[in-house]
Amino acid sequence: MSICLLCPWIAPYDPYEIGASEPFLGPSRSNWFGTDDLGRDLLSRILYGGRITILVALAATVIALVIGTAWGLAAGVRRGWLDEALMRTADATMAIPQVLFGLVCISAVGASVISLPIVVGVLLSPTTARMARSAVVTELSSQYVVAAQASGFTRTRLIWSEVMPNIAPQLLVQLSINAAAAVMLEATLSFIGLGIQPPNASWGTLMLQGYAKIWNTYWFVTFPALAVTITILAFNAYGERIRRNLDSRKSTINE
Amino acid sequence: MHTGSELEEIWIQESPQSMSNLIEVRNLTLTVPTSKGRASVVENLTFSIQQGEKLGLVGESGSGKSLTAYSLMRLIKAPVRIESGEILINGVDVLKLTEEEFRKYRGSEIAMIYQDPMSALNPIMKIGDQIIESILLHKKISKKEALKIAIALLESVGIPEPEERVHSYPFEMSGGMLQRVVIAIALSGEPKVLIADEATTALDVTTQERVLNLLNRLAEERNLSVLLITHDLGVAAQFSDRINVMYGGRLVEQGRTRDVFTLPQHPYTRALLDSRCDYTVDVNKPIRSIAGQPPRPDNRPSGCVFAPRCEHVEAACISSIPELRDIDDRAVACIRAEELKSVKN
Amino acid sequence: MPSTIIKVQNLSRAFKGSGGSVLALDSISISLQEGKTLAVVGESGSGKTTAARLILGLDKPTAGSISVLGQEITDFGPSQMRPLRREIQVVQQDPFSQLNRRHTVRRIIEGPMLAFKVGDRKSREKRVIELIEAVGLQQEHLTRKPHELSGGQCQRVAIARALALDPKILILDEAVSALDVSVRAQVLNLLKKLQKERGLTYLFITHDLGVAHYMADEIVVMFRGRIVERGTREEVFQMPRHHYTAGLLASVPVANFSTDKIVQKISQDVIVQATPDKTDACAYRSRCQFGRDKKDCSERALTETMASATHGWICHFPIER
Repeated sequence: MSICLLCPWIAPYDPYEIGASEPFLGPSRSNWFGTDDLGRDLLSRILYGGRITILVALAATVIALVIGTAWGLAAGVRRGWLDEALMRTADATMAIPQVLFGLVCISAVGASVISLPIVVGVLLSPTTARMARSAVVTELSSQYVVAAQASGFTRTRLIWSEVMPNIAPQLLVQLSINAAAAVMLEATLSFIGLGIQPPNASWGTLMLQGYAKIWNTYWFVTFPALAVTITILAFNAYGERIRRNLDSRKSTINE
Repeated sequence: MHTGSELEEIWIQESPQSMSNLIEVRNLTLTVPTSKGRASVVENLTFSIQQGEKLGLVGESGSGKSLTAYSLMRLIKAPVRIESGEILINGVDVLKLTEEEFRKYRGSEIAMIYQDPMSALNPIMKIGDQIIESILLHKKISKKEALKIAIALLESVGIPEPEERVHSYPFEMSGGMLQRVVIAIALSGEPKVLIADEATTALDVTTQERVLNLLNRLAEERNLSVLLITHDLGVAAQFSDRINVMYGGRLVEQGRTRDVFTLPQHPYTRALLDSRCDYTVDVNKPIRSIAGQPPRPDNRPSGCVFAPRCEHVEAACISSIPELRDIDDRAVACIRAEELKSVKN
Repeated sequence: MPSTIIKVQNLSRAFKGSGGSVLALDSISISLQEGKTLAVVGESGSGKTTAARLILGLDKPTAGSISVLGQEITDFGPSQMRPLRREIQVVQQDPFSQLNRRHTVRRIIEGPMLAFKVGDRKSREKRVIELIEAVGLQQEHLTRKPHELSGGQCQRVAIARALALDPKILILDEAVSALDVSVRAQVLNLLKKLQKERGLTYLFITHDLGVAHYMADEIVVMFRGRIVERGTREEVFQMPRHHYTAGLLASVPVANFSTDKIVQKISQDVIVQATPDKTDACAYRSRCQFGRDKKDCSERALTETMASATHGWICHFPIER
């Protein structure tokens, strides 16, 4: 699964040839994945597109993490009305269908490699926020926090050096879940034309271009779709592995 | 465990009820996987429970006492494994039965209650319903009749206004009350043996006394055998007639509670009793503690499991594992038991 | 003349609950002298943990005052409390969860020193080694994490951490309750030794009467937020006057067949679960064999009666002596 993730980076970048071969060729020895309507090699477009997709997804994930964690921590540490306000906002945001929301936002700010990660990141942050908040609330009621408070730790210092290390594993898992979701969202948005615009292409854009001609040139759509699926599975599997490691480390062999 | 005929005579005088080995554990060994292969957490355990007797099982963490209880209920799960031995209930080796066949035993022959009543009960179900559920597992009767039995059970465990309490939820009741409900559920199948695994540890001391009194009364009224597992020496002393002391997975001393606690013979029992902190202890002296730690499964001592920490250790203690043997009125697993009788710690 | 190191007067703490406000602490007064050990004995719901948190400055009272080392901390905020934290530390009940599971033992013990930016790396390391050895562990334990240690060892680490800033007062909140019998003995011996060596003052909160008896010079018995009896060890254990105290003593199972129990066993087999009446003047009335049906116990307010400078109780019909 790691291989799949790294592929777009490691695999040799085939040059972005346009018109190098015959258009609409099926998968053949010279073009493993065939060609698109302008004769561009599909394999290289997928690899290049993958770079964009994954970049956008990771950027969105990081943005979601930063926003979500700050959101959740603020609510969990402060409690009171701020907690309520922040969490209801999170609930509200999550209630809106993601694609619709993304659609609206992108239409407002225009689709680009910059706006897309931000919008997707914002869409994904509420779930991270909720998770961060509940994690922080649990940790804050632990005895080691009481001990740290009694030891004279200031609140900021406490959150940073005592609580964060204990939350980090859960956040990491959330990261991989978000990454998978981000890939999906980006592909969806690009597919409906509100994501990455040509001539840049992400997997979603490729699928959009290939969708119309699905019956004759099946490869146009299939390969990008496959790439999306495998990547999502890879991210999920990665997250699963982290979670299992986490669990095994926490439980000791007591009676 | 057969002891001297003299003792048997005393038992018969003390309790007119029938004496028979309800449960016999023979050479039970449980293992866990470690970095060095499988290691024992309970080793060659042999003891018995008579009908109507109150047996105490005492030990600290790592002694294997809880695992013993789980073995009796056949609730051992991986990575722990029953390696060898027999558990005879009414003469039948239940370890050889299938899960289906054993299910008839759970609840109707042998039942267990645990430390935390809150987690033993379903928080969203009325306690009456939970008791009824248990009753219906063992009897084919109507719900109405089961309700009557449930109310009777609540009354027998000392819960006031049982007809009303049947409709309460667990969160409406205190720890002590909940533990009584748990006992009621355990009794619903009319078992012959009740295992109480640290059942009073989480309770306040006043509540603990009441629950122990209840168990005592139930044992007498119903000729119920109780296996009380605890780390609290006081509780064991007050409640049990006979006592088993476990250390590092082995049974090190066994006998009548009063005898074992007044004149302990195994070095561990002596050290354990010396390290007590109750209000009869001399406040001006440091409490005699046992140096070192209990053995970890991956680091079991060769020979006697208590040897590394024993004050009276000898070469012979490390080279061979002492077996449980009868001396006077009890059984001790120590090769130096006789000579140490006169030696003070 | 030992000074009063902690003085608590008429301290109350009310919590807002679903059925109105609940008084976790109802006007308690305590005075703790330097170098001594005061045991606060109570069962669940007695308010002893609430009292500990208030004295530690981790919570604010709703009434009354607390003074620690001569300073009135009642209205102190976190920043005002901070300097005092060097003088008053806590050891809690659960050996494992009171230590940060992601930190090494070294980092745990160093914690308080880092919080106050004490010394430099070298001097802190020296102190950590000093502390780990003072609690009976070895340097090799410094690189381990809590889950690699036993309960007793973890508790020792917690004690080492508590001593890092050389405090005057240690609050022990059920500090030995989760330990095995033999390990408990080790830790109690250690605590007594440290107290002697360093002149520490202990506030020992426990439900275990045996531990209270062993460790304390003076004892305070709490029931539902009130101090029902106080006195020296001898006074409370040999001449209890409050029925709750007597009941507690009678309930404690003792594994000692040779001595007769110090207190006559007073039959406590009253109602299993008497619903406490919040309007009762005496919170213990509904459980009390003597006061159950007495008008005074439900209506007349209680005040503390002192038999000596140290022995006092709140009861309308105390046990005759």
